[in-house]
Amino acid sequence: MDPATAIAPYTAAVAYGSAGLAAGLTIIGAAAGIGRLAAAAMEGIARQPNAAGDIRGAMLLAAALIEGATLFSLVVSVLLVLLK
Amino acid sequence: MNILSLLASATEGAAEHAAEHAPAAAHAAEAAGHAAEHDSPAAILMHHILDHPVKIWFTNIEIPSKHLMFIIVAALAVSIIVQLAKRRYKAGGVPSGAASIVETFVLYVRDEIAEKNIGHDGRKFTPLLCSFFFFILFAALIGLMPFTATPTSNINVTLALAAVSFVAQQYAGISKYGVGGHFHNLIPPGLPAWLLPIMIPVEILGMFTKPFALMVRLFANMLAGHIVITCLLMLIPLVAKVSAALGIVSIFIAIPLALFIMFLEVLVAFIQAYVFTLLSAIFIGMYAHPSH
Repeated sequence: MDPATAIAPYTAAVAYGSAGLAAGLTIIGAAAGIGRLAAAAMEGIARQPNAAGDIRGAMLLAAALIEGATLFSLVVSVLLVLLK
Repeated sequence: MNILSLLASATEGAAEHAAEHAPAAAHAAEAAGHAAEHDSPAAILMHHILDHPVKIWFTNIEIPSKHLMFIIVAALAVSIIVQLAKRRYKAGGVPSGAASIVETFVLYVRDEIAEKNIGHDGRKFTPLLCSFFFFILFAALIGLMPFTATPTSNINVTLALAAVSFVAQQYAGISKYGVGGHFHNLIPPGLPAWLLPIMIPVEILGMFTKPFALMVRLFANMLAGHIVITCLLMLIPLVAKVSAALGIVSIFIAIPLALFIMFLEVLVAFIQAYVFTLLSAIFIGMYAHPSH
């Protein structure tokens, strides 16, 4: 059977399920990325307290970029729920 | 407001809403369906985050768009506070109160964001970057107050902001090198000729993905906080529908959590204003000083 018609009665359930799964998987990736970033920044600041300001700025920028990629995926899951 | 209506429906039942439509028996089923749709958690969430017309209190004036209203409010708030600060500054002496806060942010944007990332042209772009910073900050902070909306949680608003940023990026390149030079600069120097058919489309795509990323980042950040706060507060009536006692317990869990997210949102307002300004400055700098 055509996959589209096979899931037709469960479209909403599939949409909600995959949106939840997408959000969860996204969080795993984002947490790993931001965690590594923060750990590296802390280490850098501990070794070189003079450079704390520069490191913080670079860290925020990288965090924003990671977060941006994360939010793309979250927008996808919001769209899944809205357009189910 | 919407949460209150859900609470009311949890305690009094949706019957009352349906009763209003009862006289037309033929429409009863439809009305019940409508009531269920109107009161469902998803509908309340959507009502909270989407744009809708608002009536000003005690008047008959209806504003077609809540987000539009709060764009104007945020813009007026920025203008008034900055004008007050300017007047204070011109009067001489040490600036105090609002003036000293505004001065701190303006100096930060000029020295740490504009001049560091754009270089000596940074001063020319400082007014634009300051406008981005203060507007995004005020829009987000105003949106945290009750009965308001965050205009930047509407993708059309962030599209407009990103479009302004896009124009500024292209202007930075074109004003310095001319149209031809600007597009020539997109190609990294020393590139083998056979890579050109790949690199030209990629670079032109890159031109548009930068403002696109700015747009989605700001939109999703502003939206996400509101969704989380609403979901946490909606836990109370949802749990109360199952059991009143559990509902009372959930108040003590949901409200501190929502409060924590509120604090986080204040932080996010500053960080996102900073990030949007910083990325705009970096992209402007990228076009103003291409690699050569």
